[in-house]
Amino acid sequence: MANILVCDDDKEIVDAIEIYLLQEGYQIFKAYDGEQAIRVLKETTIHLLIMDVMMPRLDGIRATLKIREYSSIPIIILSAKSEDSDKILGLNIGADDYVTKPFNPLELVARVKSNLRRYTMLGNLNTENNALFQVGGLCIDDDTKEVTVDGERVKLTPIEYNILLLLVKNCGRVFSIDQIYESIWNDEAIGADNTVAVHIRHIREKIEINPKEPRYLKVVWGVGYKVEKQ
Amino acid sequence: MGDMEKDNNGNDTKDIGEQTKNTDRQGKNTGRGFRGFLHFLQHISAVIAAVSVFSVIIGSTVVVSGMHGDESYSFHKDDGEKIYEDSRLFHTLYEKAAANVIRFGVIRSQLETDGQFNGRKVIDVTAYNHREDGLPRQYVTARYYLEDLLKWQKYGFEYSSAQMTNGQLWEFLNDKTMLTTVDQNSQYYNTTDAGYLKSDIDSYTFVDDVSSNMLPPLDDGDYYDEVSQEIIDIKILTNRYKTADDLNIEDYTSDPSVYTELCSNVQTAAENLAYNYKEYLSYQEYYDQKNTNVRYYIEKTVNGKIEYYTNMQDPEERPADWKYLYYSPSEMIYETNSLIEEESIRKIVKEYDYAYPENIKIWIGVDTSYPANDAFLQAAIGFRHYQPYLWQWVVAAVVSAVLYLMILIYLTFHTGKETDEGGVSRVRLSSFDKVPTEGALILAGLTVVCIFLLLFVLGNYLEEFLTFENVKEDWFKVVFGCSVLILEMLFSFFFYSLVRRIRAGVLWKNSFLKRLVRKISLLMWDVYDNGSIIVRTWIPYILFLLFNFLAMVLGFAGGVKLLPILFAFVVDLFVGGVFYLDIKERQNIVNGINRIAEGDFSHQIEQDNLHGDNLTLAKSVNSIGNGIKNAVEISMKDERMKADLITNVSHDIKTPLTSIINYVDLIKREEVDNERVRGYIKVLDEKSQRLKQLTDDLVEASKISSGNINLHFEKINLTELLNQTIGEFSEKFEQKSLTLVMNVNATSAVIEADSRSIWRVMENLFNNIYKYALEGTRVYIAIDDRAGENIQNQRSVEVSIKNISAMALNCNPEELTERFIRGDESRTTEGSGLGLSIAKNLIEAQHGTFEIQLDGDLFKVILTFPAV
Repeated sequence: MANILVCDDDKEIVDAIEIYLLQEGYQIFKAYDGEQAIRVLKETTIHLLIMDVMMPRLDGIRATLKIREYSSIPIIILSAKSEDSDKILGLNIGADDYVTKPFNPLELVARVKSNLRRYTMLGNLNTENNALFQVGGLCIDDDTKEVTVDGERVKLTPIEYNILLLLVKNCGRVFSIDQIYESIWNDEAIGADNTVAVHIRHIREKIEINPKEPRYLKVVWGVGYKVEKQ
Repeated sequence: MGDMEKDNNGNDTKDIGEQTKNTDRQGKNTGRGFRGFLHFLQHISAVIAAVSVFSVIIGSTVVVSGMHGDESYSFHKDDGEKIYEDSRLFHTLYEKAAANVIRFGVIRSQLETDGQFNGRKVIDVTAYNHREDGLPRQYVTARYYLEDLLKWQKYGFEYSSAQMTNGQLWEFLNDKTMLTTVDQNSQYYNTTDAGYLKSDIDSYTFVDDVSSNMLPPLDDGDYYDEVSQEIIDIKILTNRYKTADDLNIEDYTSDPSVYTELCSNVQTAAENLAYNYKEYLSYQEYYDQKNTNVRYYIEKTVNGKIEYYTNMQDPEERPADWKYLYYSPSEMIYETNSLIEEESIRKIVKEYDYAYPENIKIWIGVDTSYPANDAFLQAAIGFRHYQPYLWQWVVAAVVSAVLYLMILIYLTFHTGKETDEGGVSRVRLSSFDKVPTEGALILAGLTVVCIFLLLFVLGNYLEEFLTFENVKEDWFKVVFGCSVLILEMLFSFFFYSLVRRIRAGVLWKNSFLKRLVRKISLLMWDVYDNGSIIVRTWIPYILFLLFNFLAMVLGFAGGVKLLPILFAFVVDLFVGGVFYLDIKERQNIVNGINRIAEGDFSHQIEQDNLHGDNLTLAKSVNSIGNGIKNAVEISMKDERMKADLITNVSHDIKTPLTSIINYVDLIKREEVDNERVRGYIKVLDEKSQRLKQLTDDLVEASKISSGNINLHFEKINLTELLNQTIGEFSEKFEQKSLTLVMNVNATSAVIEADSRSIWRVMENLFNNIYKYALEGTRVYIAIDDRAGENIQNQRSVEVSIKNISAMALNCNPEELTERFIRGDESRTTEGSGLGLSIAKNLIEAQHGTFEIQLDGDLFKVILTFPAV
């Protein structure tokens, strides 16, 4: 199984995370500041790192920068700082994911799984297939009508599948509710309808770890929906 | 006009005075010695320039005694390095002398015999009068002695008018006419040289007595009687002198018209001769051997007889070192060692063609040892004295003038300049510079007046003094130089004082006029500012009316007078200007107040150039504005500090909260049999989640209200937004059996807003509905147009959301948007109580309005945005 290093200056949080991850069968290594984390990384083979930002001696941001000099393992930042600017900073310096405290333990576990899958699957994808559409960990095989997120199959209704395919095919483009309605139902939109919005929410609940902070299917409020290029 | 300004100026003047005192004490400054030297150099160069220019002007002309008084000649610019005898000046004189001598020769030939004046010379009057245009073929003439004609002219010709019958006339005149005929076949007659002065006319003319054809035949008695009785007017010349033949004029002709013509010929000849005689005398004097350095010899052969005119003892003595010219047209010889060309001599001779035959020989020389004091010698002295130095004078004049100007410019920019220890340069004023400007002006004016008075008083004496001889003397230059020095020093004194005043900026400040203007204006403003409202309004107004009335009375009483009307017009214009300025000032203040009222608290009304009430008003408004600005700044700062505090505290709360949530969750996973414990765990779980929500909302609310958020505005379609929101909440609403009714009445629901913030608002509002709406009721959402209700008269979009509250709303709408207020004051249900406050602040940050209306259990939120 994968080795996971958990780094936080709050011992109780590290212990709680250990309990959850042990239940999933991962091997856990612990560190209580950035320097310790780097030391452990050098001594052991680690597959994923969960790191706090505000820590004594070496903080999470600087530690991430140092680690990124020689390692490409997935790093999930775990921080009490919940501002957009903090998240953007963390992701920009090389972190793969950003989870704010207090966190839902199940969400953290899901993110760990997702990141590990993507990390280990990297390069295994069959890109020869013309009917294969991929955005980050989200994969749609139009031949088999199969949707996978980080390798895990997701079950979608035909309408949900068509909406997601439309958005993934036109990755980055924003579709309004009317546009989506017209292209999926092949019918003229009569406005003021929330059917599409409801479908979209359902898709998000199925493919996203946290539907309120979607990774793939994003809501552009007051404009429409899009799948973001990764 | 501003009394503030005047106060400042007053202080400035005092400051400068003190500064100068300080610098006086400091004493030395390296620039001053150098400038003193420059001043000295400037005086010197002014004197040199003036004397040089004077010398050039005086020296470049020479005055010589000519035939008719003094004549002045300028040196030619090409004469620079030449010796006198090669100069243009010399040749001008030489050519003039040649022309004179040639003319003199003509005159001599008329009045002289054998080189001597001959009073007994016989003059043939008609031939003489025709000396220039040639003799007619036949003419009547009379011969007089030269001296008789000259004397007659001096005495005057007298005519008497007579009325005669033909008979009497025949008695008076001769009965025949003596007609002289030119024999063109005579061997002595020569076509080219025919003429009174060029040939001996006696040799080819002869005289006939011709009976007049006018006389009728004597036998025709009746006719004779008749004609002889006819009366004729005739002018008869009194014969003062008889002719050389001892006859009277009437004896020469029988024809009255010929008689009249002959009389006229006699008179004309006498006039010409008298004129020539006068000229002859002056020429003889001027070109006498003793008086001139010119020597001439003119020779002509008339009728084989050589005549010559000269002022030389020995015509053959012609020294080679003299300047000379020799002209002999018949031999085709022109010789000279001067620069005079044959052409110019020929021209002169041609003018006297009638007197000079072709065999003329002219020799004109100048004795270059100049034994006589004539024009040549005088010019030579002038030339030799000045010509070699002329260019030196010119150079000296130019160089010193340039030097003078350069120093003038340099000192104009540097006079009085000095640098103090701190390296700050300023203008040091002399004690004279501190004299008030008017005093200095009066002194300068007096100086000029004194100079003119002096010139006026000394006028007559100066006129005698400024003769050419005096001016030429060297000592005159010294006198001239000294005068220039004094004038230049006076000029420098006043000029540099003026320059220093201007540069130090005290020309106006340090004047009586300025003090007077300031005193008067201060007094006026004092009366105005301290007076009661009556003094400030009615008195100026009444004065204004009175003045106009007076001007009208003066202007129109007894005819229109322009001056009072014009004066009244100017004053009215001035008063109008004052009113205009006053209203303009007030307008500025009003504009300023409006800006402050619109929220620009940092705006300050310009206080300069304001007076009286306007100034007070502006000051007050500014201090109110400052107060508001400071208050706002302090409150903003407080808000920001509060926001930072809340953020930091919430970070510190979150870490233990994380453990609580995690361990509660772990306990939940344990198999707990005890029902009560499971209940406790549930409470812990809910409350820990709520604590998390509270901290997040708290941070957000404080950030928004302190303005600490970044908004990215883009076009938002409200219909789309509401549909999306409804989609997100559809299941939640279904849980509570809430039915959504949406009405879109707006033509376009597009607004400018920040996408995430407006979602946050909708999320809060919908969450509110989810939490507090009565189950099983309908929720109404409407989008409407609102035409031009906001300040900019812009179309706006209104979103209204209505629902029925589950609980009675026992508070007022305003309180709901205050922080930590919820519909239920017991605070038992979920929610932070910040939702509506955050929503309101976010909407206002996006230029919208947020309003809550309560009507019984009806809860209504109205959002309005300016439409795009």
